Amino acid sequence: MTVARGVAPLLPLEVETVRPDPVAPQVWEEVELTDADQELRKELLDTWGDNPGLWGWLRSTSHLSIAKRYIITAFLFFGLGGLEAGLIRLQLSQPENSFIGPDRYNQIFTMHGTTMMFLFAVPVMVALALYLVPMMVGARDVAFPRLNAYGYWVYLIGGLFVYVQFLLNTAPDAGWFSYVPLAGPEFSPGKRVDTWAQLITFTEIAALVAATEIIVTVFKHRAPGMSLNRIPLYVWAMVVTSFMIIFAMPSVATGSQFLAADRLIDTHFFNHAEGGDSLLWQHLFWFFGHPEVYIIFVPGLGIISAIVPAFTRRPVFGYPVMVLALVTTGFMSFGLWVHHMFTTPIPQLGQSFFTAASTMIAIPTGVQIFCWIATIWAGRTRFATPMLFVIGFFVVFIIGGVTGVMVASVAFDQQAHDTYFVVAHLHYVLLGGAVFPLLAGVYYWFPKFTGRMLSERLGKWNFWLLIIGVNVAFFPMHILGLEGMTRRIYTYLPETGWGPLNAVSSAGAVIIVVGMVVFAINFFWSLRRGKTAGENPWGGETLEWATSSPPESYVFMYLPVVKSRAPLWSEGSERVVVGGLRSDVRDTLTTTLMDAEPDHRQSSPAPSIWPLMAAVATGVMFISAVFTPWGLVVGSVLLFFALFFWGWPDKADQAKRLAGESEATA
Amino acid sequence: MKRFRIAGDVSALPTYAFGNRNIHWWGTLMFMTIEGMTIAVCAAAYLYVRKNFEAWPPPPTPLPDLVIPTIAAVLMVLSIAMMTRVHVATRKMDLRGVQRWLVIMVIVGIVLVALRWFEFKALNTRWDSNAYGSTAWATVAFHSTLLLFEVVETAVFAALMLFGPREKKHFTDVEDDAVYWYFMAAIWVPLYVLVYVSPHFA
Amino acid sequence: MRQSSRLWPSFRRTVIALTALLGACIVPGNESAFNPAGPQAGRISTLWWFMLAAATAVWVVVMVFLAWAVRRSRQRDQALREPAGDASMQRGVVVGGALTVLILTAFLIADIATGRALGALPRKNALRVEVIGHQWWWEVNYIDPTPGRIVTTANEIHIPVGEPVQIIGSSPDVIHSFWIPNLHGKKDLVPGHTTSTWLRADKPGVYRGQCAEFCGAQHSKMTALVIAEPRPQFDAWYNAQLASARPPSNPVTARGQDVFLKSSCVVCHTISGTLAAGTLGPTLSHVGSRLTLASGSLPNTPGNLAAWIVDPQRIKPGTRMPSSNMNQADLQALVTYLESLK
Repeated sequence: MTVARGVAPLLPLEVETVRPDPVAPQVWEEVELTDADQELRKELLDTWGDNPGLWGWLRSTSHLSIAKRYIITAFLFFGLGGLEAGLIRLQLSQPENSFIGPDRYNQIFTMHGTTMMFLFAVPVMVALALYLVPMMVGARDVAFPRLNAYGYWVYLIGGLFVYVQFLLNTAPDAGWFSYVPLAGPEFSPGKRVDTWAQLITFTEIAALVAATEIIVTVFKHRAPGMSLNRIPLYVWAMVVTSFMIIFAMPSVATGSQFLAADRLIDTHFFNHAEGGDSLLWQHLFWFFGHPEVYIIFVPGLGIISAIVPAFTRRPVFGYPVMVLALVTTGFMSFGLWVHHMFTTPIPQLGQSFFTAASTMIAIPTGVQIFCWIATIWAGRTRFATPMLFVIGFFVVFIIGGVTGVMVASVAFDQQAHDTYFVVAHLHYVLLGGAVFPLLAGVYYWFPKFTGRMLSERLGKWNFWLLIIGVNVAFFPMHILGLEGMTRRIYTYLPETGWGPLNAVSSAGAVIIVVGMVVFAINFFWSLRRGKTAGENPWGGETLEWATSSPPESYVFMYLPVVKSRAPLWSEGSERVVVGGLRSDVRDTLTTTLMDAEPDHRQSSPAPSIWPLMAAVATGVMFISAVFTPWGLVVGSVLLFFALFFWGWPDKADQAKRLAGESEATA
Repeated sequence: MKRFRIAGDVSALPTYAFGNRNIHWWGTLMFMTIEGMTIAVCAAAYLYVRKNFEAWPPPPTPLPDLVIPTIAAVLMVLSIAMMTRVHVATRKMDLRGVQRWLVIMVIVGIVLVALRWFEFKALNTRWDSNAYGSTAWATVAFHSTLLLFEVVETAVFAALMLFGPREKKHFTDVEDDAVYWYFMAAIWVPLYVLVYVSPHFA
Repeated sequence: MRQSSRLWPSFRRTVIALTALLGACIVPGNESAFNPAGPQAGRISTLWWFMLAAATAVWVVVMVFLAWAVRRSRQRDQALREPAGDASMQRGVVVGGALTVLILTAFLIADIATGRALGALPRKNALRVEVIGHQWWWEVNYIDPTPGRIVTTANEIHIPVGEPVQIIGSSPDVIHSFWIPNLHGKKDLVPGHTTSTWLRADKPGVYRGQCAEFCGAQHSKMTALVIAEPRPQFDAWYNAQLASARPPSNPVTARGQDVFLKSSCVVCHTISGTLAAGTLGPTLSHVGSRLTLASGSLPNTPGNLAAWIVDPQRIKPGTRMPSSNMNQADLQALVTYLESLK
């Protein structure tokens, strides 16, 4: 890679060791703008801002707007998924309860799993990354802003579709992993499972788009000087997650199309009477399904690494090992999927490999935990709500982690599989490993998003209610499972003796709901009345804290030059930046892969309505495919037109861009 | 008092770049990886259901025809060589060369699409006959969407380079199209061997 | 944070109280993996207790270190901060990693050992029982080389205590999973595949197990009972099952048989020795001898049987059995007849 001509060498070759900054956040010094800076600011606002009104909102390609919508939509789905959980716990709180009948119950538990896994967990994690990752690497936007908008709209349309179906009593009802033959044409007539199959398509497209954005932004749009070994751990976590998405999602997407085809056009992928195989579905689903849970969990690990330094006033210990642990976890997660099939008639010979892999994957995560504990030990810890949730992560996730190692054993899994023991395990790892870090992240980054702090007092109530509620709701399930309570039952007889623990669990669910209501109150109250926050209220060390709170549409007035892993802790009295990007068009800087040396400039496309139109066309394509295969054809034609107008150059934009350009050749 | 210190000026940098210096090249790479995984899944399904059959293809399904599929496969490989002409022209920013070869590639693409119709017939089975038919059709059908997409994309670029508001960076976009064509054509070879050739040796 | 140090003693007390409460709620019953009644479940149970102990120890140790790290770092004097602790931190992480590998290896070894032990159950002269999962009942066939000695029943499986049993599983419709926690782990019954599980009950008892793979509307009410009894009792039961269904012995039961044979019941159900030979539903040849009805949903009493016949949808909404509208007298006769089929 050659250093571009005309740019003086900016990059010190060695990484500076960052001394822990003992300065309390309140005295964080912000940059003062000169008159020239103010002029530039006006031009940048004009160039990067969205058009006003609804039209501007629909056409927006700003990653800040897109990501905010994405996160809010995901939290709305979280609420819906939580309601579904509440209904489940209400129905199961006593034996032979008649609150909900079996048909409705099957839809509710399927929607709970589907909503949480496909409409909340993955979207919220990628959405947070779409907001933070460009800022953390010193970029003004993601690599493909229009594609980013398309991804969000596709997600929204898919989510709306499945919930409309729910209102029409056509929600999927065969479980969130929709096993055949139950989900096949013979045993699930109607459109419920077809709805599920195409929902997968929408959420998978959205996730793949987000993954592509993250990878290409991190690879090619880092600020000058941010070599690979200076990339924040959160960004590494999201890169690993994105690669997992790229490799895993196609498996479920293709499998779900096979399922849709079996149901709609009489193919026989899973029909054993014609040589197909129910187990093929399980392989295809779980080859995706296992990495899926790591796709949800690894971002949580990244968030922890982003928060711990601010609250211990030192960088996370063992950076290279932490990165290696993340990458190893990502790789290994692809070698575990058969542990979901230990009770099926697959050859026993291969099972031991999957037990070993499923057990050993605990090692990289364990190492990360030890590194965090070491960081805390060597740091100067202060507690605020984000740090409370980090501690909550340790407490809750490790319980889930150890039960995970238990079910990795084939022998034990024969007893625990498909019982409430697994329900307990999965909720401990998801709540502990993803939701707690996510809430920690919300409390941590809320000031950046909104310019205000969340209430500490309400935050503590939120935390304690949640950690107590989670344990009361889910711990008894370990026992229930081993006492014979299988999954997905809408009721049980009193003679089973499962009544008391189910009642306890339902009480725990109530506590969780109260805790989340407190969160919602905190959120809405603080939006209006929270303490105002400056650029860097927590004294964080990464580049997102070098922007205003909330960031301006242009994010960075000048792109920063990075000299260490903790840029904001090593900047002293001047913020070193590069100049020379145009302010009259959306100019971005592309840098080299390894050392982030400036390579060339590229103009980001202007806002456009075509990503939304393309998403609508995609919606037509896959929603009509629920009813007829010809929908794919019609939808494709519509999609072609939308993509054509999306990509075809706009003469006016082009003229403006070319008029101000240098003659430099590549 | 904290101030900005401008330590460099990037205004003299070029506004476009070829190969893996370009973000669109990386976007294309991600797309190829995703499509590649999907194709791998189709092939895996084909191989997985094979174990449920004594004879492959299961009687009374005849073996797949080889004539037209082989012609198409050969043309597919040749098209890679032809696409390199486009690729070289883009690097040299030779507009005439790019225009000429893009039009040729569009014609080649249309021929490949037409041949694909006959390749489906050459499977000698329907998608709804049995699992053999379903997985063979799925593999060919999925690749066909890649082929169709790529022919359309190439046609759009041909139109852009012939008539449209061109600029220098479009040469790099055409290069990405060429790279994607290599992928689409090259990945057909193992699929052709799997679906058309291997049953003759089963 | 001073608040948390005030909370600690009450937190500790709460944890102890909850543990005691939960302990009291573990009622080792007749559907519990905690209460093994045979060597297979017994071996898995041993593995479980080992893993629980190790897992609890791991969690406690990590929590202790975390608490210690937090406490230490909050006491630290700001001015004396320096990164010289790197060496001891490195040691800590390496030791932690090494211990993790050791503990996980112990888990693996324990699992492999258990797996081998499970495979080593003696199989000589095993009783072979075919279990076929249907939506939403269990078909049971005792395999015997002599066709006249094949017993067909439903939902309740008798086995002799102390002798090996081979469960041969399959399903003609969707995936079900046969699971009796007291005796062994579960096995999925996947259409197109046949499975084989070996187990043995060493204690007499009635062991319950629900279908463990979501199979549709009435997955919740698809229960199997395994009744382990000493060999002589088992033989007696078996011979009774071999005999044809008892013919009616009084006017009421005669009327009941008449009602049965003239209604749609015969489409789905079999009663040996009569013309009723339907196989869509469970055989009723000896339904009077069963402990439960509707795959474990109801105790087998005349009242429950009547309720089931009249409106199965109320008890198992979605079940394949249609409602019937027969008059009270017919219903009573039918119930009396069926209950007489012991």
